[in-house]
Amino acid sequence: MAAFVQTIAARSSVRPETWLWRGGLLGIWLLLLIFIVYPLLMLFSRAFLDDGHLGLQALGAAISAPKNLRALGNSLLLAMMVGVAGTLLGLIFAFTVERVRSARRVSRLIDFFTFLPLISPPFTTSIAFVFSFGPRGLITYELLGIKNVQVYGLTSTFAAETLTYFPIAYLALRPMLASISTSLEEAAFSLGGSRWYAFRTVTLPLVIPALANAFLLLFGCSLADFATPLILAGSDFSVLPTEAYLQITGLFDLKSGAILSLLLLVPAGLVFYAQERVVAGRSYVTVTGKAGVLAQHDSVSGIAGAVLLGFCLLVSALIVYFYLLLFYASIVLAFGANHTLTLDHYRVIFSEGLPAIRDTLIIALIGMPLGGIYGITIGYLVGRTTFISRKAMEAVSMLNYALPGTIVGIAYLLAFNDEPLALTGTAAILIACYVFRYSPIGIRTTVALLQQIDRSMEEASASLGAGSLTTFRRIMLPLILPAFFAGLGVVFIRSMTAISATIFLVSINWTLITVKILENMTEVALGPAAAFSVFVIVVVVLVTSMLNVLLQRLTAPSLRVGKIGA
Amino acid sequence: MAAQSIEIRLQGISATFHHERRGDITAVKNLDLEVRPGEFLTLLGSSGCGKTTTLRMIAGFQKPSSGRILFGDEDVTRLAANQRDIGFVFQNYALFPHLSVFENVAYGLRVKRQGAALIESSVDAGLRQVGLHGMDDRMINELSGGQQQRVALARAIAIRPRVLLFDEPLSNLDAQLRVQMRSEIVRLQRELAITTIYVTHDQEEAMAISDRIAIMDSGQIAQIGTAEQLYLRPTSRFVAGFLGSANLLRGTVVAAESAKTVIDILGHRWELAANSPVAAGRPVDAVIRPEALTLAKQGAGPRGRVESRTYYGDKAEYLVRVGDELIQAVQWNPSTEDAFSDGDQVCVQLPASSVQLLAVD
Repeated sequence: MAAFVQTIAARSSVRPETWLWRGGLLGIWLLLLIFIVYPLLMLFSRAFLDDGHLGLQALGAAISAPKNLRALGNSLLLAMMVGVAGTLLGLIFAFTVERVRSARRVSRLIDFFTFLPLISPPFTTSIAFVFSFGPRGLITYELLGIKNVQVYGLTSTFAAETLTYFPIAYLALRPMLASISTSLEEAAFSLGGSRWYAFRTVTLPLVIPALANAFLLLFGCSLADFATPLILAGSDFSVLPTEAYLQITGLFDLKSGAILSLLLLVPAGLVFYAQERVVAGRSYVTVTGKAGVLAQHDSVSGIAGAVLLGFCLLVSALIVYFYLLLFYASIVLAFGANHTLTLDHYRVIFSEGLPAIRDTLIIALIGMPLGGIYGITIGYLVGRTTFISRKAMEAVSMLNYALPGTIVGIAYLLAFNDEPLALTGTAAILIACYVFRYSPIGIRTTVALLQQIDRSMEEASASLGAGSLTTFRRIMLPLILPAFFAGLGVVFIRSMTAISATIFLVSINWTLITVKILENMTEVALGPAAAFSVFVIVVVVLVTSMLNVLLQRLTAPSLRVGKIGA
Repeated sequence: MAAQSIEIRLQGISATFHHERRGDITAVKNLDLEVRPGEFLTLLGSSGCGKTTTLRMIAGFQKPSSGRILFGDEDVTRLAANQRDIGFVFQNYALFPHLSVFENVAYGLRVKRQGAALIESSVDAGLRQVGLHGMDDRMINELSGGQQQRVALARAIAIRPRVLLFDEPLSNLDAQLRVQMRSEIVRLQRELAITTIYVTHDQEEAMAISDRIAIMDSGQIAQIGTAEQLYLRPTSRFVAGFLGSANLLRGTVVAAESAKTVIDILGHRWELAANSPVAAGRPVDAVIRPEALTLAKQGAGPRGRVESRTYYGDKAEYLVRVGDELIQAVQWNPSTEDAFSDGDQVCVQLPASSVQLLAVD
């Protein structure tokens, strides 16, 4: 029947008009207002209001201060470089895995190596960078014997961020390349073009929207990255997130911190807008759903394929090397000075460091179920029901996820420092921050699953006599359960690894492993920092693999759900 | 087996949607329909004619913007789908992917909180009826399309509904399976004697399975009747053209008497054993099926030129140019000897009966 009837029918959806429904909606809006809208309003008022009056002098001063302008410029430069290099690296990886025949056999290996940076604490690469290229670094000092080497600055920050974030580009580009049938390349080839010509005139133009999208993703990641520059950028190369952090923790200047964090908002907002446009415009690639079908045609010549594969393996080896180095640093007495094997650092983290581990696990374990429930609740509401504020709810729920962590952290600090909502110093503020910042992935997974579940499923249940509650419980809930676990997993991983927002929110009572690692790094206690990192990586890898197995078992055979960490 | 078969009545129902760009769209306009108890009625029409919307309103998936729906004497217009006691078979089957074949069929019985033993025997009987006995533990994605449709059918009849509704259930199956499934649906429906409404755009399917067919056009029923009535006695140009192929020729009534009409058509005077719908001197449309026409080398009747001959094995189709009109004629069981070639001059022999005359408005 005509397509328009279906789109119309799609809007005539379930709407139980009960007090329960209204009360639930109201409750969710209240939560969103308290934990997303209110903190941001506080941030804006702190930045722009002086004694209740609109005062733009502080803003003007902040913008015109050369130091801040430099930080903004540096942030943009770094983000641009990481965006370009990471996208290129991601494209090479995606193309190699999808189009070079000999790479198919090692694609799982490549997947695992590129998966590691995604689930590691944000400064894993940075720490390994210091171990490798620092003043006492394995390569710079031990191998090359260079003394007083300068590792801190733009170059290493750029390199570390590129290695950390390029897997995002890889994951975004690979399905796109897979969806472009190789028969298109074969067609170009059969019409007399060379392989390179076919790539240039057929494949590349088709992936350009995906490339733009990947670039914007990486640009945003780098712009918001706090941990890498904090460790690697050094004092000469300041960027906005670290500058805002120093204003607040070093100079206790909340207002300047707020203004600096808001400077981030401008490019971040532009990126977000551009991304929406790109995503909306990439309609001409048809997904055939035949990813991984062995191509009969070789898209690249044997030599080019070997070069590409070699390059990917080299980069993968570099990642593995960094992780091994991190592990090695955690089991020697003093990396760079005394390489006697020891478990001392682990003893330290499980004794002195135990409160941080305990706090982190408690926060992660409480946040997990809350995030999971929050994710599927809002996902179901915006994905399957109709109510007046539906679009607004969807947008607001995504805010904390889309904003750089520094903005969210400072906003929470400002909002929950005083009555009526004095949460500073409690575990609640950390849990709330993680739940509202990272559950949007659960929301998106829920919506994506719901899109695969035809509305006739609910109608079939209704025609068999089931009421809307029964239908939800027996049909919809089992089908979207994977989204619950996906949301749960992401909140757990981020609770273990994130720092940019929560660094403003930790206290004497409640601290986090990531913050401990940072402290260790500044105190040059490299061993415990490495041991903490290894611990986090092991826990996260274990939990995500378990959840991914669970996800596969729970997902109804004909539905698809993305892997955690992707 | 089933409870007393019931009658379904639609009284003046309309469905109006709001479309963001196109404004208000009326998919169904003030439609009346009576389906007799135990009857198999098909809503036939091309896409966008409102047939699926009508079916969805009967099921309770959509609320009519006006009008009443009655099951027997009960007004169900305001009842939700889950309170109407219907069996609905979807075009995409809509089987629950996380449940086994058994649990899919048992779903409606579990919702009604029936005993385990009863559920067991009902599902078993249902699966037997659709020829899927022993497949209880299979998951849905392990079944072929035809098997999935059987499960959907078993699920719909397991609850012993008052009404069976089908929304193009066979359109996703290949041609051979379609023919097989449709005879099974008819067999089951006869066995259960449940009042059934079936939606399709496939006229052959509609003619093969229905007691009566309602042809729909732009949200209204153009004509309702048995396949034979619709084919032989269409009441409008739309129905004549929609069901099978037809030559629609404009003529003028010369004389109108009881069971005898003389019309002037294609430059010929033609006497028919039929009543004229209009008085003498008025224009009239004659619906002539291609197989009712005979081509001859010579004789009485309009003369024309063969434009093409298409051979189908069991028949040959001719297009003959007569004046400005292009006339379709079918010759059954064609042989090479009596075949005409392109460009041949032929005489189109008009039949004296099996012609339907339509008033021209």
